[in-house]
Amino acid sequence: MAEASLSADLAHAPKAAPAPAPQPLAGRRYALEIRQHMAWRWQALILAAALLVGFGLSAAILVAAGVPAGELANEFITQTFLDGQNFRAVLFQAAPMILVGLAGAIAFRARFWNLGLEGQMVWGAIGATAISMWQVGPEPLRLPLMFIAAIGCGLLWVWGPAWLKLKLGVNEIISTLMLNYMAANFLLHLVYGSWKDPKDNFPYSPQFRVFERLPELGGGVGSSILLAGVVALLAWWLVSVSRAGLYLRFVDANPRVAHANGVPVRRTIYGAVLLSGAMAGLAGFAVVAGQEGRLTQAFYQGYGFSGILIAFLARNNPLAATVVALLVAALFVTGRSLQVFYQVPFSMVQLIQALIVVCVASSDFFIRHRLRRVGGEGAQ
Amino acid sequence: MPNALELTGIRKSFDGFAALTDAHFAARWGEVHALLGENGAGKSSLMNIAAGLYAPEAGQLLVDDNAVRFAGPRDAARHRIGMVHQHFKLVRPFTVAQNILLTAPPPAAYQRHGERLRAIERAIRDKAAELGFDIDPAQRVDALSIAEQQRVEILKVLLAGARILILDEPTAVLTDQEAARLLQTVRGLARQGAAVVLVTHKMADVKTYADRVTVMRGGRTVATLQPAQTSVAELVKLTVGESVAAAGFQPAKTARGAVRLSVRGLRTPASPEGRRVLDGVELELHAGEIYGLAGVGGNGQGELAGAIMGLPGEATEGEIRLEGHGDLKTLAASARRGIGIAAIPADRYGLALAGGLSVAENYAIGRVHTGRYGPVWRLRRQLIQRDTQEAVRAFDVQGVRSVAQKAALLSGGNAQKLVLAREFGKAPTLVLAHSPSRGLDVRASAEVHARLRAARDGGAAVLLISEDLDEVLQLADRVGVMTRGRIAGEFAQPADRQAIGQAMVDHG
Repeated sequence: MAEASLSADLAHAPKAAPAPAPQPLAGRRYALEIRQHMAWRWQALILAAALLVGFGLSAAILVAAGVPAGELANEFITQTFLDGQNFRAVLFQAAPMILVGLAGAIAFRARFWNLGLEGQMVWGAIGATAISMWQVGPEPLRLPLMFIAAIGCGLLWVWGPAWLKLKLGVNEIISTLMLNYMAANFLLHLVYGSWKDPKDNFPYSPQFRVFERLPELGGGVGSSILLAGVVALLAWWLVSVSRAGLYLRFVDANPRVAHANGVPVRRTIYGAVLLSGAMAGLAGFAVVAGQEGRLTQAFYQGYGFSGILIAFLARNNPLAATVVALLVAALFVTGRSLQVFYQVPFSMVQLIQALIVVCVASSDFFIRHRLRRVGGEGAQ
Repeated sequence: MPNALELTGIRKSFDGFAALTDAHFAARWGEVHALLGENGAGKSSLMNIAAGLYAPEAGQLLVDDNAVRFAGPRDAARHRIGMVHQHFKLVRPFTVAQNILLTAPPPAAYQRHGERLRAIERAIRDKAAELGFDIDPAQRVDALSIAEQQRVEILKVLLAGARILILDEPTAVLTDQEAARLLQTVRGLARQGAAVVLVTHKMADVKTYADRVTVMRGGRTVATLQPAQTSVAELVKLTVGESVAAAGFQPAKTARGAVRLSVRGLRTPASPEGRRVLDGVELELHAGEIYGLAGVGGNGQGELAGAIMGLPGEATEGEIRLEGHGDLKTLAASARRGIGIAAIPADRYGLALAGGLSVAENYAIGRVHTGRYGPVWRLRRQLIQRDTQEAVRAFDVQGVRSVAQKAALLSGGNAQKLVLAREFGKAPTLVLAHSPSRGLDVRASAEVHARLRAARDGGAAVLLISEDLDEVLQLADRVGVMTRGRIAGEFAQPADRQAIGQAMVDHG
């Protein structure tokens, strides 16, 4: 198709040269064509333009909501990244976000739409808390055991949907999404029931002991960000260096071609999906053992959405996901300070996230298509 | 009798490939006119032009001797032309009446939807009774058998007002009894004054039901005849061309070896109408020979290839034994690769290459399982690049500026050469080539053929599945004909082209 239109262009070129008759705008017809290929420089330019539009719209909305225009840059850049305390807050916030972003990216690379990141995260947190509640293992091994339990529980929670999809063709979008509600309600059952803190009867688990919490690295930076960084590197190694990465690219590009060429398609999908569940479970661990220090009733809320959008904005690239997750965390931190200083509702943060995602998603259209005028001389 | 539909000097090409070069066709009112030819002769393309789906590059279209131009199927319908496609165009979860409503001409005066649907249902019942069809307008299309769906398609075009009725391979999906009933019906329509065009490759249908027949070959019209006064042998000769008996055939340089592949009683499950796509395939393939499997497309070739490659598909009964490895069905596709099965599938970007990935990745995937490109934890990218560059040079793959470029940017011939480079990188024991030169120019085809011969001379067993009889006769040491899911006949080379053509069109 593209070749045919190209030759048509060439054929018209000499005719079009002598002053084309001006046509009323409404009378012009455009054809939408699929582009085969676009140089990466143009792709980057289109993406940058989309981001600019997204930021512009966000800025306009914030200004309309009462933030002085002159203060925007100060709030978003100077206060967030250059202020030590705020930057620590960003890193603190970023660790679980990086992990859910990676979890999304790995599953999406295998064409598995894991919308159950929150459920897997909840189960990861429950697994880690169970080790603490039941005091499994000696003190020095407690944290590693919690880590393993979080991985195992997150992985098991996504096993069901993976099996259902690969064995029976059940749509994973529905199954993973519905399992979120089951996980969330089970969490409520625990924190309002047998795991309720006996000290004050609030709906959360008892405080973890010191050796059950992720230690500080010094300078007030938690070790959860280090954990997230290591996992990001491992994910990068997996998709870019290992053989499984090549398999994943084939499964993503065309499962039929992959199968015909001897790629173990089912095993590759299973591996990616279980890994995704394990990473989401780790995100739960990072929140309960790194931030809250206990199992709370709503710690996971919003992470599922953030994970999906981080993976999307990063085009499922693990290193890019890390950067995007840091930016989203910065947006959260800035949002909180805007809330304090300008009474801007926190939901504005979600509005901005959504705006940027919509802009970037729309830019894809221009990368994949081109508009071409047809019937220039009234031929059709 | 006057001409209802006439096409003269039609030319049409797709992506530089000429499907029609000089096609003529004229159907009169009141006749059943068969359009006969092999796959790829241009029958369907020509009729798609008549139905307004394609615009011709040159030539003229006349309806009732007036020149017309169609911007789309709606224009054709306005000139009372209706086409029943080989692959039905029905919306599956909709009812019969809803499907027909989609294409029915709008009513003269405003009608509420419910009223209109009831009017259509009445019209369907009347028309169905008139034709002797047993169709319930309220039934969902996906609950109907293939033959019933076809009747819905016919009702649809008739109720849209068609008087020139084009049926594309209508009997291909029917049992003999169903086919006979259908052809009786369309003959009845012609007797009432309609013009019916019957696109087919079946001689028997032509002889029994057509008033006239136009034969096409290689995008041209060869002849228009009266079937009653023409022998089947003559029709076969016109469709498959003059006997250039195996021009360019080069026999194997070495004597053929032991049996390498044996297929026994390969069957797919029966459809509700009792048809099986594979219906007891029996095949023996020796080392050092090319076995050419000829036949009209859609007779089970794709499924046979899929079963040998190990693609996920319908479960089959019977066995496929590879010498020294037992029944292949116990082996996953990746394991089959490991024991030296090379595959050149017909669907290049659907099975062989991932267009969105790089040339190097597409090359490496063939051998990455063997550990050639490093252990599981590390891919040796430099080695992959070097190997790919070497293979690209050795197999003369043109248009590769860098091995990092997307495989989709290669032309058809070069994409196929990349597939060959990958599949023949290690000496294969069994080669499966399905339409390996489809869409390639003469030079690229010749190169593909040379590679297949070289594989044979190197001791591989080559199964060549092709709809192009010329290709089969040029390459194969033995020729089999596939019809209706089984091998209808086997011929030693030099084979009689007429006899093969006959076996291809006979009902199996």
